[in-house]
Amino acid sequence: MVITLNKFGRILTSREIGREAFAAFKSTLATLNDSETLEVDFSGVTTLSPSWADEFVGVLLVSYSDRLILKNTSNPSVKITLELIEKIHQLKFNITS
Amino acid sequence: MIHDVIPISEAARILGVSVQTLRRWDKSGKFQPSFISPGKHRFYARADIEKFSKNLFSVARAWVSATVGEPPALGFYCPTSAEFQGRLSRFELMISRIPDLKEGEKFSLVSSVVAEIGDNPFVHNLGKWPDIPGTFFGYDEHKRQVVIADRGLGVYTTLKTAKPGLRDDKDALKVAFTEFISGRTPEKRGNGLKHVRTVISKSNLDLVFQSGDAILTLHRHSDVMHFKNSAEPFRGTLALIDF
Repeated sequence: MVITLNKFGRILTSREIGREAFAAFKSTLATLNDSETLEVDFSGVTTLSPSWADEFVGVLLVSYSDRLILKNTSNPSVKITLELIEKIHQLKFNITS
Repeated sequence: MIHDVIPISEAARILGVSVQTLRRWDKSGKFQPSFISPGKHRFYARADIEKFSKNLFSVARAWVSATVGEPPALGFYCPTSAEFQGRLSRFELMISRIPDLKEGEKFSLVSSVVAEIGDNPFVHNLGKWPDIPGTFFGYDEHKRQVVIADRGLGVYTTLKTAKPGLRDDKDALKVAFTEFISGRTPEKRGNGLKHVRTVISKSNLDLVFQSGDAILTLHRHSDVMHFKNSAEPFRGTLALIDF
């Protein structure tokens, strides 16, 4: 399964909006097979902040760490935010170029 | 000339402060009218008002430290988080066109910092605003400055419920910018200001952040925190970001 984050907006910054985005995505996430990987695509995201990311990507990192793959993470705010989320949860993301 | 002056009520409306505040500023010498009529009515030079309102930091400082709370001037006021998000989107678009920030999408670090500082007051003061809900959010494209302020509870009051050992405003700012803690424990919150410090340590951003009587300064490409005491404390927060 691939999640294209820019479908939630190009500026992903508020905790409240991050929580709403995750709630909206939950029903889709429920269809993920046990053996399936979960790819999160950051292309088109122009600004990311830890508040939004912790409510969405942070939750995915905790629940699906082994199967979670992030891609197109070159935006500076995306990079630095993901590093903070890793620090908060003491877990590492799998990131592909 | 008489057509270049405006009455105190109009000056107050433009600056987003109360008439009482302008009277206090007059008495203290902070901002004075150009003349007082024989009937003791104060009149302000439009040019003085414009000059004052162009200095975003002065306007925000005046608003956050006014004894009587009034909504700030409309162009700066974000009463809700949604309003802030909308204005943040326009700000991001503006800075994304500045050549040195466009390169390598460096503008995203600026907007990410502004987003965290600007969203914080809404998260921590929800249902608790002492008087005026929301934030002052202003930016100057030419000076490359952003100013964000709120008349909320301030960092010390917010954090001490989660960390009762906090001594004062300076202590609270230290914790807010360094420790992974939040005023809304046990939920994982309050990491935005740590992010702000990390971004500043790796970019061309400077920050002055005041809450209560503590002023924190962070300089570009450094994570060293410089503190000083303010002679003019206030309850909420005030941030100046130079980009």
